[in-house]
Amino acid sequence: MNEEIDEYDIYHQDFTTVSEWEVFVARIEEVLIDWRLSKSTMVKHSVENHAKKWFTKSEEISYQGQKFTLSYNYMNCKSKPESTEESSDKSLLVEIQDGLWEATTRFMDDSDESPFPVSNWFGLKQYLMLYPNVALVEGSLIKLVMSSLNIAFANVDCGVPLFVKIREHWQHTYLGFYEDNEYKISFDTIHLKRISNQCSHLTGLVGLFKSKIASPVALDAVVVSTKFSYELKDLDAFAWGQQTQSNEFLSIDGFDVKKLIELPFGCDKNPTKSVLLNAIWPKFRECTIVESSTFSDIDPLMAPTWTLTLKMRENINFQLSELIGKVMELLDNSYLLMDTLGLSKSLGLVNPLNKITEAPITISKLVKAAMGHGRHTSEFKGPISDELLMPLLYYIFPDAVEDGTHIYPPDLKMEFKQDGNGSKLCSYVKSSPEDCLVWRLSVTAAKLHDAGGLSYLAHLWYEFIQELQYRWEMQIPVPGIAEGTPNARTCLLHQKLQLLNCCIKRTIEGNVNTTGHSSEEEFFDCSEGEGAEEQPPWDRPVGRLHRLGEATLKNGAPLYVPRTQDPAPKTEDQLEEDAELMVRLGDDAKASELRARMMSASLLSDMEAFKAANPGAELCDFVRWYSPRDWKSDDGGALGERMLLPGNPWVEAWNVARPVPASRQRRLFDETREAEQILHFLRSRTVSGVAELLLPAIIRAGALRATQEGAIGSSASVGGVDARRTFEIAVRELYEAEKEACRMLCRRKVLGGGEEGQALDAAERARVLRAAGGVLPAVARREFTLRVRDATAPQLMRAALADDITIVGAFTERIVCL
Amino acid sequence: MSLTMDCVAKLKILLLGESGVGKSSIILAFTKGDYQAQFPATIGVDYNHKIMDVNGLKVKLGIWDTAGQERYRTLTTSFYREAHGAILVYDVSEPKTLAKLNEWVEELQVYTTNKNIVCLVVGNKIDKDRAVPREHGQAFAQKHRMLFIESSAKTQEGIHLAFEELTQKIIETPGLWEKDTSASNIRVTEEEAREQGGSCYETTCSIK
Repeated sequence: MNEEIDEYDIYHQDFTTVSEWEVFVARIEEVLIDWRLSKSTMVKHSVENHAKKWFTKSEEISYQGQKFTLSYNYMNCKSKPESTEESSDKSLLVEIQDGLWEATTRFMDDSDESPFPVSNWFGLKQYLMLYPNVALVEGSLIKLVMSSLNIAFANVDCGVPLFVKIREHWQHTYLGFYEDNEYKISFDTIHLKRISNQCSHLTGLVGLFKSKIASPVALDAVVVSTKFSYELKDLDAFAWGQQTQSNEFLSIDGFDVKKLIELPFGCDKNPTKSVLLNAIWPKFRECTIVESSTFSDIDPLMAPTWTLTLKMRENINFQLSELIGKVMELLDNSYLLMDTLGLSKSLGLVNPLNKITEAPITISKLVKAAMGHGRHTSEFKGPISDELLMPLLYYIFPDAVEDGTHIYPPDLKMEFKQDGNGSKLCSYVKSSPEDCLVWRLSVTAAKLHDAGGLSYLAHLWYEFIQELQYRWEMQIPVPGIAEGTPNARTCLLHQKLQLLNCCIKRTIEGNVNTTGHSSEEEFFDCSEGEGAEEQPPWDRPVGRLHRLGEATLKNGAPLYVPRTQDPAPKTEDQLEEDAELMVRLGDDAKASELRARMMSASLLSDMEAFKAANPGAELCDFVRWYSPRDWKSDDGGALGERMLLPGNPWVEAWNVARPVPASRQRRLFDETREAEQILHFLRSRTVSGVAELLLPAIIRAGALRATQEGAIGSSASVGGVDARRTFEIAVRELYEAEKEACRMLCRRKVLGGGEEGQALDAAERARVLRAAGGVLPAVARREFTLRVRDATAPQLMRAALADDITIVGAFTERIVCL
Repeated sequence: MSLTMDCVAKLKILLLGESGVGKSSIILAFTKGDYQAQFPATIGVDYNHKIMDVNGLKVKLGIWDTAGQERYRTLTTSFYREAHGAILVYDVSEPKTLAKLNEWVEELQVYTTNKNIVCLVVGNKIDKDRAVPREHGQAFAQKHRMLFIESSAKTQEGIHLAFEELTQKIIETPGLWEKDTSASNIRVTEEEAREQGGSCYETTCSIK
C-alpha cells in the first residue's frame, strides 16, 4: 500500500498495487476482528461442564483462485457475569496448557463431537480452522498460507489457536500455532503411509519426542499412556439375533394382516463389523515398561484397563428407511397413478379438463363380497389377488365385515400440544390421528408397494376410491376418520375424507328432512308467534331458531334469531385457493369492495333468513343481532355511525335480501358437487400426488415404530419449507433414529449392558476373552501419548500406529525478543 | 453472514378482535398512513400488504383483516392457518373488548397451524377517554406470553412500532418463517435456540 502526501496536502492512498496476498491477509484479519477474537476484545468464557456442545461460525475466503473456509469452532460457553475485565495473555495461555495436559487422559480416536479432531488431540475448547476446498498439498503454497496466517494472527493479536488443514482431505493432517508475547505453541501433524523403523516402537518415539523438545537441561521422566487395540471379528458370542422381515404375507398360506400392518424396523444383517478390544495403560514412566524393536513388556492381559469399542458396518440397509425411501422415489413420477393400471381412460381421466363422461365402475369389492357375487367378467381385475386384497380392504374398512377384529378406536382425536413439550420424532409432519383409516391405508400402501411395486399400490388405491364412491352413493360414512369439519392440522388426505363425511352427513340429514315433515317447524313457528293468524300467509314468519333474549324489533315485535346455513366446510387446498384469489385481487379500494362482495354470500343468506323469521324487520334490527356494537338503543333502535355511511355494503345487501328461510335458500354448500370433486381429486392424482397424500401417515407411523424401538425424539422444529422438503427432513431424521436404535441394540448385545468405552470388570474381561477363544489376535492399532513438563510448559506428543502412522505434537517454546 | 437486501420473506399477519375496535383503521394507518373517522364494518375477511425493512431484511407483510362479529367466526377462522403473527386488538375506551380477547386467544389456539405463532396485544384508541388502565392490557399480554403495545390509529401513535415489534419477534422465532428465495434453505432448529430467544415477557413494551 503506497501512502503519499502530495503537494496539495491531500491525503491519498493508492490501493491499485495491493497484491492478492495482502488482500488475503487483510481478509483474514477482517474476519477475526469481526468475530472479536483478538486477545483484548475476547470475552472471558467459562465452559459449562454439562452438555458440552460445539458451535461453529464460518466465512468463505479466497486466495489465488482457491477457496478456503475459515471457521471458528467453540464449545458452548457462558460468559461469566463477574469477569468483565479483559482476559489477559496469561489466562488464555494457561487455559490452553491446562487443556493440553487434561487431554492426555483421552486417546486420539476418541471423539469430542467437534468438527475437527484437533480439539480432542490437544484439549482445545476453541480453535480456528482454515479449510481449503481443494486439498492443499503443494509445499510452497502451504508455507505461503501459513505465513499469511502468522501475519494476520500477529496483527490482530488473536487469542485462539489457528489451524490449517493440509495434505489430502482424507488425511487428518493439520498445522497450527498459537502465540503471545512470550510463548509460541506449534501444533504439528505427521502422517506417513509406512512406519519408519525408529517410530515403530515406544523407545524410538520417546527418543523422537526428546529430540523435538531439545531441552538444554535434563528433562524429567516422560509420562506415557498407551492403548493397544485388538480387532475381534465374527464372534459367535456377539452373534446378531435380529430377524429379517420378508414379504411372506404375499403368500396366502402364511397370510396374516398383523404382519402386514407392522412396519419393518432395523437392519437386515448384523450391523457390527467388528469389536475393538482396547488394552489400556493409563499412565507410566518411560522406563517402567519397555517396548523396543527387539523386546516388548506389553502384554494385553496385564493391562490395567480393558474397554470395548464397536465398529459398525458401512452401507447397511435399514428396513424402515428403505421402505419409506421407495415411496419417496415416487415423488418424481408425474404420471397418473391410474395409468399404471391402464384405467385412466375408462375413468375419464385422460384429459383433466373433461368432466367425467363415462360412469365409472362403482361396484365396490366389499359389497360384491357381502352379496356373495362371483367374479364378473367385465369387472376390472388388478394385480393383487382377491385372497390378499379382501383382508386388506376389511382392515381398512373394518365396518364392512361383522367380525369386528380391526375396528377403529372410538374417539379419534388429533392431539396438538401448544407448548410442544412432547419431543416426538417427526412431529412437524402434519398427519392424522394414530391408527385412523389414513394410517392403515398409507402403511398398507407402502408395504404393498414395497412387495409388489407400483401396480400393487395403484390397485389398492383404485379399490380404495371404489369403496369411497360406493359409500358416497349409499350414504355410509367413512370409518376411522375424526369427527367434524376438515381440521387444518391434519394431513390433506384426512381433511378430504372429513369433507366427504360432511357431504354424506348432509345428504343423510337432507333426506330425513324431505321424507319427514319438512313443514313441521314452520307450523310450530307460526303457532308460537302471537297474532300469527292475522298475518297474511306470505308474511308468515318462517325459520325461527329462538328468541334473542328480551330483544324486540323496532316495531315492537319480539326479535327472533333465524335458522341459518353454516358456511361451507373446506379443506386446506381449497382455503389456499380462496386466499390466493383474494390476494390476487390487489390492494386498492376497488379490490377491497370485490372481496367484500365475495365474502357477502353468507351475510346475504343470514339477512334473508332473518327477514323470513322477523317480518317487518329493519336493518337496525338485523344489526342488533348480528353486530351489536353497531346498534344504538336510541329511539327503539338505530344504526351506529359506520352503518350509515353511503354505499355501505351492509345497506346494499339488506336492500337486495328477500325474506327466504335457510331451508329454502340456495345452498352455500353443495354436497353433491363437493363429494364428486373429492372423488375426482383422489382418482385423478398423479403417482407423486398420491405419494404426497400417503407419506405423512407413513412417516408418522414409522416414527411411532422407531419410538417403540427406543429411538429418542428430537425437538427439531421445521418451518416454512414446502411439503417435499419437510418429508426429506423427516426421512433423514428417521434414518438417523433407525441407525442409532440399531447401534444401541448392538451395544446391548456386545457390551451386555455396559457403556462403550467403559472399563470392564473382571467377569466381563473373562467373558470377552472367552468369546475371543482365549487368545487375542495380533494387535491392530497402537497408540502412545507422551508428555513432560519442562521449564517452559507442558510438551505433548501422540502417535497412532496401525498400517500407517500419525504423529501429532504440541510443542511450546519461549520467544526470545531482543 | 449478512442477509442480503433482495431476499424477501413473506409473513402472514392476522388482525383479530371485537367489531369496531379499529382493526381496519390500524391497517389503513399502517399501510397508507391514512385515517378515516368512519369505516364500513368489514365483511368476512379483507387483505392488505406492506413491505417492511427489518434488520436490512425486506419483509412482505400480508395482513389479513377479519370481521369481529360472532357470526363470522367460522368463516374467519379458516383463514388462520399458517399465520406467523396475530395482532389482538381491543378498544381502551371499552373494557368489554379486552375481556372478549380471551375468546380470540382460544380460537387462535384451536385454528392456528403454527405452534409458535407470535401474538401482539394492541390497546387501540388511546386518543379517546380511557376506560381500561394500561396495566390491565399488560396483565393480559403477560398472562398469555404476548407482546403488548398501546396505539391510536387516529394519531398514528404506536402503529408502526406495533408492526415492527411483531415482525422483529417473528423473525427471531426459530422454525416459524423461512426465507422465501431458496427452497433448499432448511431451518432445523433445536429447542435450545428457542430458549435463548427468551419469553415474550421481556419484550413487553408500551408507549409512554
